[in-house]
Amino acid sequence: MTTTAGALADQLRHLLGPDRLLEGDLARNLYSHDGSIVGGDCGIVALPETTDEVAACMRMAHEAGVDVVPRGSGTGLTGGAVPLEGGLVISLARMREMGEVDVANSCMWVQPGVLNLDVSMAIAHLGLHYAPDPSSQQACSIGGNVGTNAGGPHCLAYGVTVQHVLGVEMVRPDGEVVILGGVAPDPPGYDLRGVVVGAEGTVGIVTRVLLRLTPLPPDVRTMLLDFLSVSDASAVVQAIIAAGVIPAALEMMDRNMTMAVEEFVHAGLPTDAAALLLVEVDGTAAEVGTATEVVERVARGHGVRTVRVAQDEEERALLWKARKTAFGAVARVKPSYYLHDCVVPRTRLVEVMEAIGEITEREGVMCLNVFHAGDGNLHPIIALDRSDPDETERAMRAGDQIVRACVAMGGTLSGEHGIGVEKRDYMPLVFDHDDLEAQACVRRAFDPDGRMNPDKVLPTGTRCGEVGLADTQVPEGTWI
Amino acid sequence: MDLRPAGRDELTGMLRAATADRRMLDIRGGGLHSRRGWPFTPDDVLHTGALAGVVDYEPDDMTITVEGGVTVGEVLRLAGERGQGWPQAPSAPAATVGGVLAAAAGGRRRLRFGPIRDSLLEVVVATGDGRIVKGGGRTVKSVTGYDLPRLLTGSLGTLGVIVQATLRLWPLPMAEQWFSARGEPAGMLEMARGLLADLHRPTAVIVGPGSLHACITGVPDDVVAPAGMVESPEPSGPGPGGDGPAGAHGGVVEIGVPPATLPAVARRLADDGRAFEAWMGTGICRAAVSAPDDVRVMRELAMLHDGHAQVIDGDDALRSDPFGPVPAGADIMRRIRASFDPAGILCPGRFAAAEAVPA
Repeated sequence: MTTTAGALADQLRHLLGPDRLLEGDLARNLYSHDGSIVGGDCGIVALPETTDEVAACMRMAHEAGVDVVPRGSGTGLTGGAVPLEGGLVISLARMREMGEVDVANSCMWVQPGVLNLDVSMAIAHLGLHYAPDPSSQQACSIGGNVGTNAGGPHCLAYGVTVQHVLGVEMVRPDGEVVILGGVAPDPPGYDLRGVVVGAEGTVGIVTRVLLRLTPLPPDVRTMLLDFLSVSDASAVVQAIIAAGVIPAALEMMDRNMTMAVEEFVHAGLPTDAAALLLVEVDGTAAEVGTATEVVERVARGHGVRTVRVAQDEEERALLWKARKTAFGAVARVKPSYYLHDCVVPRTRLVEVMEAIGEITEREGVMCLNVFHAGDGNLHPIIALDRSDPDETERAMRAGDQIVRACVAMGGTLSGEHGIGVEKRDYMPLVFDHDDLEAQACVRRAFDPDGRMNPDKVLPTGTRCGEVGLADTQVPEGTWI
Repeated sequence: MDLRPAGRDELTGMLRAATADRRMLDIRGGGLHSRRGWPFTPDDVLHTGALAGVVDYEPDDMTITVEGGVTVGEVLRLAGERGQGWPQAPSAPAATVGGVLAAAAGGRRRLRFGPIRDSLLEVVVATGDGRIVKGGGRTVKSVTGYDLPRLLTGSLGTLGVIVQATLRLWPLPMAEQWFSARGEPAGMLEMARGLLADLHRPTAVIVGPGSLHACITGVPDDVVAPAGMVESPEPSGPGPGGDGPAGAHGGVVEIGVPPATLPAVARRLADDGRAFEAWMGTGICRAAVSAPDDVRVMRELAMLHDGHAQVIDGDDALRSDPFGPVPAGADIMRRIRASFDPAGILCPGRFAAAEAVPA
């Protein structure tokens, strides 16, 4: 530890007490990882509990010139919360207070460490919910959701996190606290709130979030459709939306995934099907009735085998459990997984599924697919055993080819997980030099010293105003 | 002088030249939002009307990519032919896509369909110094990189000329109808409160002086006249795009307040005998003003409710203080602007975080 870092640690220990400054090897190892397979190097970890404490930590780090990596629950899938070269990790996990629900304005302030699902559970009695619902919603935090502009199955109809965050309180890199956005819509000036959401902790630390709350739909119906071919299922996705129905959620699971999940959850999923579609429609009773008819008619026209309609809330919950525990179920197949989050235009679904099949077969790796079919957001999960270097190498190669295939079909790198470290060096596939430079300038406008979550999102070497030679090497010691 | 670039290359050439010569530009699409910000005298007016190509329309993906000078009416016509719509668009067919995005001037269906910024997936801008910069992505979902589409939406031309936009479209609803009622303001506000409480996701609930309009979208069984209301056309109220020229009133202020306080704002505007349109449930209200003092009164009213007020249309006299207090994060906004428009030639009067009032 350098003198500067040592002095910073002393200051932080004085501020937070020894219990809330983690310096031991065990903690540093733990905080060197997130939900991805990226590994880094953690310096020290601060656990502030108030905005004032975050601001104080940030001032100290600013004065010491030390890099800061914000962290929520650590469930991210791209290494966004992984410190790469020491520095200070500021965990927001202890900031778990929810403010009063502002029922009249359908919103509430919460601290960033509040877990996603806890928000909806706390307000259900008011007939409200928080719409974005990532599969990890039992574990992921609102602050992390803001960082990655998280999505979830219900974002098809309801929109992603940025559409549900009215404002943020943010501690800037120099420790100043600013509120961007708010209950009153469209304040004068640029929509900085919109930039902060999805900036992956590179522009400041969000210490409070003003969430837009959505009325629970009066009626909802959940259906499970099963098909003997992936292309039939993909065609149904397209046809439902072409018929003018935007379901609340429209999810697909392939056979590998179905088998893994069924073994885990026992939801009565047909494990001989090539593809399952989980379709949820909601709205008024008349809307739900009409949408259900459309879904059934379209599915029958495309060779659906069975249409299972959840008969009660319990069955609905079971079907959703099957969907949302999918990533966990992969552990029954292999100890680890490597996944991507590409998006393709919906019209390319069949084609991209075929391409993924070919790529993973060629590389000899097992791929399980579960994804947001309605918006073309893929999650090809490559199951692997990281202790097998050859399999790991083949998984990496397959992942690389999948990303390139998606982009070649007019797609993009990430739909909801973010860029982090893992997708960072793919950014030049979708943006040219001037595009990336402009993004670097936006980032620098918030963080002139470049100390916030460095080496994330933009490829190394991308500079505002003076783009250096692109050095796409991942920092030494990083394990991807 | 009027500049009318016929394509991207010509546009970027003009911008490079303007930056080199420090010539101030006004950017004009349909001209609806040209009376915004501090009054300034541009050296040249850059018209985007010739950037009018439809680049790509894939109905099955429900996305359309158009050049910035394409009109709202053209997008709606093309989409309509395929049973699709752009529900966040304003009811201003002659406005340009670039213009309504730059002004963040969405339409009256915001209550159900959200602000217009939610419909912009990818944007291509020409910066003040003539670079072409793309942000976002053409897929309906993307978190790939910093959100330039949201940054550009509402930037009023101060970051660049929107040369191309990819918009998310929606299926045309099976049924949609506007309804209206007339009566005393208190009664109209009470009816509006009832609609917001009883309807699931109403499309619009709009109170004006002595009137109430509501729009219901969905399946035919749900689109029925609420008690005391009759079928009617969409209202025509204050503001650029919402009606004809606001010049008759002198100008228009747009107020943004917490939605729950909008009834109090509307009551006050009605008591004062102003023309106004309050978009209940959204917190947005547009009110006619005729003197600089009116702007001050409107702003005080908005700030009383923790809101803000901007002049969105008005002659020079009405625009001596068009934005109100300096916005939070002004230094960040200044650095962003400086990187997109280093010479500060783009619409200098429309930068809400300006350090000094432009000449």
